[in-house]
Amino acid sequence: MRKIIAMLMTALLMLGAVAPALADGPIQVDVFFYDYSDTYIGSVRASLEEQLAASPDLYAFNFYDGASDQGKQSQQVDTALTRGSDLLIVNIVTTGSDEAAQNIVDAAAAADVPVVFFNREVSDAIVNFSDDVAFVGTDADEAGYMQGQMIAEYLLAEGNLEKYDLNGDKQIAYLMFRGELGNAEAFGRTKYSVQQANELLAESGYKLVPSAANQTDNTQEADGISPYYLYGNWSAATAKNLMDTALTTYALDNGDIELIIANNDDQALGAIESVNEQGYNTGAEGSAYIPVFGVDATVVAQDAINTGKMTGTIKQDAVGMASGLVFLAQNIQKGAELLDGTENFNVDEDVAKIRIPYAIFTGAAE
Amino acid sequence: MHSIGDWFNRRLQPYRALSARDKRRYWADFFLNNAIYIILLILVIYVQYYSLNVMRARNTFLSFTSIVDILKKSAAALFLALGVGGIIVLTGTDLSAGRIMGLSMLVSASLLQKPASEYASKMYPNMGTWPILAVVILVMIFGAMIGSFNGYCVAKFKLHPFIVTLATQLMLYGFILIYMTWGNNGGAPIAGLTDKYKDIVKGTFTIGKTAIPYYVVYAVIATVIMWYIWNKTTLGKNMYAVGANAEAANVSGVSVMGTTILVFTMAGALYGFSGFVESARVGSNSATAGLNAELDAIAACVIGGVSFNGGMGKISGILMGVIMLQIITVALQWLGVSTNLQYIVKGFIILVAVAIDMRKYLVKK
Repeated sequence: MRKIIAMLMTALLMLGAVAPALADGPIQVDVFFYDYSDTYIGSVRASLEEQLAASPDLYAFNFYDGASDQGKQSQQVDTALTRGSDLLIVNIVTTGSDEAAQNIVDAAAAADVPVVFFNREVSDAIVNFSDDVAFVGTDADEAGYMQGQMIAEYLLAEGNLEKYDLNGDKQIAYLMFRGELGNAEAFGRTKYSVQQANELLAESGYKLVPSAANQTDNTQEADGISPYYLYGNWSAATAKNLMDTALTTYALDNGDIELIIANNDDQALGAIESVNEQGYNTGAEGSAYIPVFGVDATVVAQDAINTGKMTGTIKQDAVGMASGLVFLAQNIQKGAELLDGTENFNVDEDVAKIRIPYAIFTGAAE
Repeated sequence: MHSIGDWFNRRLQPYRALSARDKRRYWADFFLNNAIYIILLILVIYVQYYSLNVMRARNTFLSFTSIVDILKKSAAALFLALGVGGIIVLTGTDLSAGRIMGLSMLVSASLLQKPASEYASKMYPNMGTWPILAVVILVMIFGAMIGSFNGYCVAKFKLHPFIVTLATQLMLYGFILIYMTWGNNGGAPIAGLTDKYKDIVKGTFTIGKTAIPYYVVYAVIATVIMWYIWNKTTLGKNMYAVGANAEAANVSGVSVMGTTILVFTMAGALYGFSGFVESARVGSNSATAGLNAELDAIAACVIGGVSFNGGMGKISGILMGVIMLQIITVALQWLGVSTNLQYIVKGFIILVAVAIDMRKYLVKK
């Protein structure tokens, strides 16, 4: 009896070793998300699940929640590789240093499994490590530039500059809600939004200046923009509490705070909830208004914009992101090279980084 | 006037009787035991000075508007602290408080959304809006059920609440993620709350010229009820007895199991209600709802002198703790202190509070 079991086990093991060589079956795709509770990542996850589940004969897939813990995510990757994976799709937790990404790339290379990073950006060196590594994301700084463009366009629209420069000093005092410290996206959005807006406003003689209600973080680059923010850390609740306190000292009607910029929509909505209590941005006819700008275009933000509570946001295309990932997965499934047929995408020069474009959103269609 | 002088004299008698050395010790003890209040007083004076002379802001730190801002934030944070306080008196702790509140936030929001005609991304498009009172009762029962489950596991299997609530907290996060995908939602934040709901929580009445939201009143009511339970009922007395020495309490006929379950259930109901308030207060509820909220509540209790050694703590202490934690948070924002430093300062103050607490406890022993 024992012998039979032993033989069966051996046979099973051998089968297991041979299995990956079988082509044309469904491939095992393992997708690692940095945190399930992130709203935008949640919509990418929903769309990816829908697209992968649509062809069960092509893809078998597992999703993992890194819970903002790189150690946890790295272990999940190890387990997935041990279990047998054909493609790793990684939304890495740690951005800003190569260590964690390099470990994943090394482990995957040892098992001969391609890796696609997405959303949270890894360095060019990581992606150039081999042909089996790619990145799908947005240009971290682009959202900032676009937000700046949107702000400038809004202010340059007729009468708005005079209307929102409440104290007539030709300076628009803005309040900035910043995402996680050390995050490349938060950095880019904080800095380039204001920089770009000021560039476009230059001709008009107006400019954005940090409101005194911001905190000053001397550890940031002294560029006149980056050190000034309130630390909402992507969260609506935190942003609301900060805004409440800011409004005890600074007013919305005398030029203390003339414009609100947030690194993401959740924070923008938290700030709006707070100014609502002062009768601002309630969406009611004739209510006082302070322009509020976010990024992400979540459904809630879109609704807020359409009902006149919020001014504009930058659309991160969650479905586009998921489609880009599925496109690459398809290549692997067909046995083609990872980056085959990506000419129609917006790819960086010299490095396999596919950029899903952003779009300005100031109203309509949900 | 004469009698007041007399009263002072009588009060000072024991102090005068001390030797010079004992007098010095008396003051040393006084400063050590009240270190937290003294640090805070210095902080408040400094911020007040700063806001008067350096910032030249519209209001000063100790202006009525600013104090109301601090009290509003304290009121919002109070429900959780009142709940977890009882569990700490039982020598326990509750890591699931934030997530119970989070789940309650999402459930409250989803049941009280505007009709689909006004809010296109409504979670259950074909469902009407619930009566608000029904939602309050529902989420409180929800919270109480989860709380009693925690309490049952703690009492029945003799597990430390840290472990039990660590486990339930994980399970609750799973439920939160699942709940977010129900109906029409697909993981999006839940918002678009009815005006009536917002009004019941955030609507204001005015004292002088300052608007005070209703949830401050709810916090006051919750505090009074909890004060009554802690001080005037058998349950309260049993809670202190079990917390001080569970075996002795058991021997003298107190049901340790019953008391534990009831305290946890009460806490759960408070978390549930807290979620109902917080949801309307924040307006847009994502899966991070309530994340780590229990840590602030526990910190507030510790600062307010609810001892982790059990059996000690007062409602007034919790109230003070919550307010002090908010003062620290708000003061640091006024000073424009960088975020990195804020964490360090907060951590330091909590550490000092716990060290003082331990010192008092050892002296008492």
